[in-house]
Order: sequence, then structure tokens, then C-alpha cells
Amino acid sequence: MRVALAEDGALFREGLQMLLEAAGHEIVGSVADGDAIVRLLATEPVDVAILDIRMPPEPDGGLTAAERLRALHPDMGLLFLSHYAESHYLMRILGIGTERVGYRLKEKVGSVDVLSDTLTRIDSGEIVIEPVLAKRLVEKPQGDRKGLIAALSEREVDVLRLMAEGRSNNGIAGQLFVTPKAVEKHIASIFDKLGLQADTAAHHRRVLAVLTYLRAQREDG
Amino acid sequence: MAPDPLPTVLPGGPDDAWHQRMRLERELHDGPALRLSALALRLGLMSHRCEDPALADGIGEVQDELHAVLEELRNLAGKLYPPLLDEAGLGPALRQVAEHTDAPVAIVDSQERFGTALEGATYFALAECLAALPVGAPAVEVAISREGDELVLAVTGVEPDATGRLQETARSLGGRTDVGAAGSVVTARIPCA
Repeated sequence: MRVALAEDGALFREGLQMLLEAAGHEIVGSVADGDAIVRLLATEPVDVAILDIRMPPEPDGGLTAAERLRALHPDMGLLFLSHYAESHYLMRILGIGTERVGYRLKEKVGSVDVLSDTLTRIDSGEIVIEPVLAKRLVEKPQGDRKGLIAALSEREVDVLRLMAEGRSNNGIAGQLFVTPKAVEKHIASIFDKLGLQADTAAHHRRVLAVLTYLRAQREDG
Repeated sequence: MAPDPLPTVLPGGPDDAWHQRMRLERELHDGPALRLSALALRLGLMSHRCEDPALADGIGEVQDELHAVLEELRNLAGKLYPPLLDEAGLGPALRQVAEHTDAPVAIVDSQERFGTALEGATYFALAECLAALPVGAPAVEVAISREGDELVLAVTGVEPDATGRLQETARSLGGRTDVGAAGSVVTARIPCA
């Protein structure tokens, strides 16, 4: 895969470079700030750009650079690395794009397998979220269910909550004492009410539905 | 995350103490935390090159240990001055606290900024109040706004006794607190620039 990275900490940047090379990826460029990566990739796009969130231009140059990169090259994947896994940044990242994005802790991409798996999933269109953050978000649903979520029936909210817990259709059916067929109907209705188009892959729509749910709760909170 | 009442007064006055805390958090982030993250990557590279499965397992264990150390550093940094408070302000930082509370908490804020010292002092006062919420407590709302030259913090749905540190903080910063009946609103008004 062709990648480029922007990270202001020299030690970490060099470590990541070595790991990417060992994993067999081609590094198009390696720079220390957000403006430099936008300049670098203006003429030479890559499959995935790897961005430190907290780097120059302060305070979060990775996010501002990503907005510009997404506008320049909508198909280019974006992997955000940070010392912190926080839902505040996840929501900002989802504001930049809900496809081909990833958000992971710096120390957690410290193996060739994890790093390559993360990059491959982003390149294939997925949203990759640091597991500890995803877990925290779905374990604590709260706040008023206004806005988009208000359009859902009570049963549909139940289904969506169980989807957010990562349950399969059969698992949801078991929890709610209904048939899997009924769950499918509810999910189709949820996708429809949340405005998720039928031409998106089923798994992808599932992720988006869950994220819409979480985001709506946060905005209400 | 338990807010930790470190001494908040330095020779230069209380404002300096909050700036000092913020600088220490940045030093942790830019120094040891980044070095340890870089070490985790180097170990990953060693593990990739190593052909002895037992050694690779051992390297994996050292990486796990590094992850745990980094988690401890993050907790420590959060007790000094949460990075999100510095970068995004009271609302986002308190929303993060609300993710860990035992009761539902809604944060309503106008996304205004109030400066390092005032944000630091009120964040820890409110975080303490939220962290003390018992499991199953009814919904709590914290509203943050500016009215003229005052920062107004309105906490709805907590026992007034639980807002002791908020009241104390408001007083020490030249502000005042109105306390309603149990379960109603506690409002702190603190002068801001």
C-alpha cells in the first residue's frame, strides 16, 4: 500500500516508518506537520495518509490537514493516531468523513499485523475505531433521544441499542424475543429513518446507524 | 477519573498553578508518553523480525506492559490538566467525564472559553461532583454559559451537599452560589474576563 505520514515527534515518526517498511508498504513521504502533508499529497495522492491529531498547526493540525486532504482527494484513506482515544475527536473525525477513516491509539499500532490490518480495512472503505473507545461509547448510552433518534419507535431504539453492542440479528432476536425476520424489518426501517441509502454495503450501514445513534445522543447531551 | 486536589497555589498566585499543571501535562505528552509509544513500535519491529515464537510472545508481553504504563500516564495527565480541557474547553472535557459516571449526565454548553485557570478550577469542582453520583441516580444536567462578565454553572438534579467543592471554588474565585431545594438547581456565578 502507498502511505504517507505526518507526526511531529521524530522518535515516533521514525519508529512508524520502520514498521511500515517492514510490513511492505511504500512510504511516499514522512513529514512533521499538517501543512507539509497537504503540500506533499497535493500532487501525489496515497492510499492512506497517517496523521497525528495533535501536531502543528496547533492545536490539532492532523484534523485540519485531514479536512483539506478529504476535499482534495475524497477517496484517500485517513488514519488518525493519538495518545488519547476520546469520543470528542471521534465525532470530529466523523464530521470529516464516515468512510475510509480510522482512529487508533499510537501505541496500539505497534505490530506489523495490527498496522496492516488497520490500513487494509480503511483502504477498503471501513471505519476503524480503537476498540477501547468503541466499547466505552456503546456501554454508556445516555441522554435524551431527540432529533433523528426521536423518529424511531421504541422497539427500533431497542434494536439499535443492541446493534451498538455489536450483536448479530439472531442475537438481537433472542434478546427481544422476536423472530430474526422481524429484526430485519426493524433494521431496514432504522436505515430508512436515519437516511442511510440502500446502495451502501450492509455491514457498513450497520456501523453508520450505530454511529448516528451515538452521535445524536452526544449532541443532545 | 478521580479529580485530584493538588496544591493549587504557587508563588505566582493561583492562576499560575493552573498554567503550570497544563505545562506539566504537555511535557508528559510530548516527552515520556511519546517515547514509550515509539518503544512499543520498536518492539513490534523486533517481534516481526524475530523467528523464535517464545521470544516473540515475550516481546508481546513487554508491549502489553508498555500499554499499561501509557494508560497510567494518561490517568496522571488527566489529574493534572485534561488535554481536552485545554484544547476544547469545559463542555467537551466534562462530557468525557460523563462517559464514566454511574448516572446519566447531560452537558449543555455554549462552547465559549473562559481561560486556563477558571476552566481548570471549575472543571475539577464539577468533575468531583459528577464522579460522586451513585449508581442509578436520576439524570443530572450541567449547563455552562456566559452571562455578561460571569461564568454561570447550573447543576440540576444533584443533592446540594454534593456540590460542596463547586460552592467553595466559586467563593474562592470571588463568585457566589444559589442553592435550591434537594434535587433542584445549584447555580454558581463566577466573574470571568
